[in-house]
Amino acid sequence: MVVSERRLSLPNNPITGIVLAIPGYFAGVWLGTLFGLDDDQNTGIILGYLFATAAFLIGIGFLNYPLERLFGWQVTPVTDPAENTGIGRFFRLSLDHKVIGIQYLVTILIMLLFGGIGAMLIRTSLLVPDSTITPPGNYISLIGLHAVMMIFITSAVIVGPFGNYLVPLMIGARRMAFPRLEALSFWVVPPAAVILAAATFWGGFPTGWTGYPPLSVQAGQGMDSYIVGFALIAVALVTSGINMLATIIGLRAPGMTWTRLPMFVWGIFTTSILGLLAAPVLAAALIMLAMDRTVNTSFFLASNGGSNYLWENLFWFFGHPEVYIFILPAFGIIMEIVPHFARKPLWGYRTGVVGLFGVALLSWFVWQHHLFVSGIAPVLRPFYMLSTELISIPTGIIFLVVLGTLWRARVWFTVPMLFCMGFLFNFLIGGISGVYLSDVPTDVTLHGSYFSMAHFHYTIMGGEIFALMAAAYYWLPKMTGKMLSPTIGRIHFWWMFIAFNSTFFPLFIVGLLNMPRRVAAYNPDLVGLNRWVTISAYFLFGSMLVFAGNLIYSWFFVARPAVANPWHARSLEWQVPTPVPAANFDRVPVIVAGPYEYGIPNARPVADLGGIVGATGGG
Amino acid sequence: MAVRTRAYEADAAAAAALDTRLAGIGTWLFLAADLFFFVAWWFAFFYLRALNNHQDWKAQGIGPPSKGYGAIVLVLALATAITYFLGSRQATMAFLFRLLTPVALVLGIATCLFQGYEMWHLGFGLTEGGYPSVFSGLSGAWVIQFALATAWLASIVTQTGPAGDTIVRRQPAASFAWILLYLAAIGLVNYFLLYVVA
Ligand SMILES: [Cu+2]
Repeated sequence: MVVSERRLSLPNNPITGIVLAIPGYFAGVWLGTLFGLDDDQNTGIILGYLFATAAFLIGIGFLNYPLERLFGWQVTPVTDPAENTGIGRFFRLSLDHKVIGIQYLVTILIMLLFGGIGAMLIRTSLLVPDSTITPPGNYISLIGLHAVMMIFITSAVIVGPFGNYLVPLMIGARRMAFPRLEALSFWVVPPAAVILAAATFWGGFPTGWTGYPPLSVQAGQGMDSYIVGFALIAVALVTSGINMLATIIGLRAPGMTWTRLPMFVWGIFTTSILGLLAAPVLAAALIMLAMDRTVNTSFFLASNGGSNYLWENLFWFFGHPEVYIFILPAFGIIMEIVPHFARKPLWGYRTGVVGLFGVALLSWFVWQHHLFVSGIAPVLRPFYMLSTELISIPTGIIFLVVLGTLWRARVWFTVPMLFCMGFLFNFLIGGISGVYLSDVPTDVTLHGSYFSMAHFHYTIMGGEIFALMAAAYYWLPKMTGKMLSPTIGRIHFWWMFIAFNSTFFPLFIVGLLNMPRRVAAYNPDLVGLNRWVTISAYFLFGSMLVFAGNLIYSWFFVARPAVANPWHARSLEWQVPTPVPAANFDRVPVIVAGPYEYGIPNARPVADLGGIVGATGGG
Repeated sequence: MAVRTRAYEADAAAAAALDTRLAGIGTWLFLAADLFFFVAWWFAFFYLRALNNHQDWKAQGIGPPSKGYGAIVLVLALATAITYFLGSRQATMAFLFRLLTPVALVLGIATCLFQGYEMWHLGFGLTEGGYPSVFSGLSGAWVIQFALATAWLASIVTQTGPAGDTIVRRQPAASFAWILLYLAAIGLVNYFLLYVVA
């Protein structure tokens, strides 16, 4: 492409982004007041957040490419290889999927710290049965901030760091299909987290993560953080979904047939479908909520032609697929890692893929189970009860695939494998308790209690976060070039596993004893159990510090350089050198075998890395 | 052994073919996502209309804006999409492409301006019930997307000059036609719902 000599010489980095974002915010606020809409500054604040985010993204450099397309200006190239080696590349707009993976990892670990501190504050408040430590209003704000921050994190915690880093390596690609979309899916996450945190300046928001009207229409300005922050996460889900799906469909190496695709890639594939299709529904609902709060439309106000059930339906039509957005990549991780350490072929590869698609498909037909006690028409209850119960079949299939792989295997109990076992234990409890909540009679009594809270923490923390830890111990040596200490890793696992179960299992009992969730005060008879849970929660937080300590110890103090393939695994990502070369593969590999063919006589290596001479990879 | 090599070939033609394929896949994925976005609005339309809380779906004296004016916007949108679609077909000669894309751009800008004008002169306030809410939200969401697509169209027009690269990358430019056609089709459904079914 011939371009003019004109250069746009703004230094593109987060500092510029922040410098532009601050006046951007005030410009939005000013514009909101200019229209003179008689609300509580909500218009100005929402516009301010949007303008600030846009200005931040421009400062990072997202406007360069559109300007280049529109006017032919030569703008600072974002992938200058000379600039792309030092630590600075992690602080700039990078189109390298490996850099984006690390950017995601660090950002999300920082967010996790804040979400975790929120959880500790909640548990501290529950040390006493009355609301003396935290007044009710503050308590519900704390619940909302913890919940929404954790939802932001868990939406991206596996796809972001590990999906971005590993998918091209696992399918034999030298790049992603749409690197700019991929970068955008990362760079909207820090603004989303900051905007959410900004809610504290306005006293938080009182609705938890579900944002039910009419409360969310009437709530103070903290609610605007919920709207804009969540909308940015929706943008991340859609852009990441488009990029991941197009990459997996279009950039697989020669010979990487659909039946040779690693299970982790299948997990990313199915979760990307859900994110791609569910997030736009959330975006539409958030726009309606923003309109109700700013220009006083009445989508959700029953007194003026609207309906709060409209929100509840739209929100949960997104919300239920959203929880499978969390768990499908975790299923992928477990089915990926177990065969490597069982040294056996994955038992029932195709069955496992069908299980993933079964979960993904059914997730669209169950959302009303969240409304069993919210005035749903009684005739609809049996259908949604049945469709929800059906989900235990594909989930059970995935368990069966993992157990079939372990059957009569000589298992190598590495730290990643321990976390896989922890996942199976926790998710079994999480899944079975979910069946009780899908049944209308039990849900009616348990829905508002800690039973439901314990259920989803068993699936999300006991499931997704344990899988995340398995992934971290398994793949971080490839991503960072340093082995994590297995000794600290074992301490971390047992500590976290015991503390997790000690924290959340009693909450099932507390729930059965009718302790309501989202309330600061509770029956004094339950104080003993609650104190047990709080102390356990502190230990659980401590186990995360052990993990952080392991990262710091292994990266900075006792660096054990990782060899290219420390686990002697067959799959493709382990066949490239560590650190991974800039273009991943010198020559595009030709895949000649599946990734799990352990113990099979005369099994071929997974790929011919000599590849096709002079291949471009479309780069 | 026979392996598929479509993704990786040495020559520039193959790289361009790969770009085209990815642009096509990306376009269809985006359209799938965006369809769910509009389905959410259509659901809101039918839900609030059927519920008619307090008889406030359409309060006394509130009805759709001028059908004829809405039809003008719709026709302009369809004309934008069809003009670009015809101009960007493989069989179309390069000079026709250079001729028709600016025409499509002008039509696209006109669509946005007409829709914007209508939205400032609705004849009802946004606070006056369910129908005004859905009308403003759905039309607003649609015209913002149409405006963004028009801006993209502008970038294609600037690239059709001798210095640009759209001529050599005709196929990715062609897959953009599906986005315009899709938005025009959404406009058609919206017109049917907001002006006819109401
Ligand atoms: Cu659900």
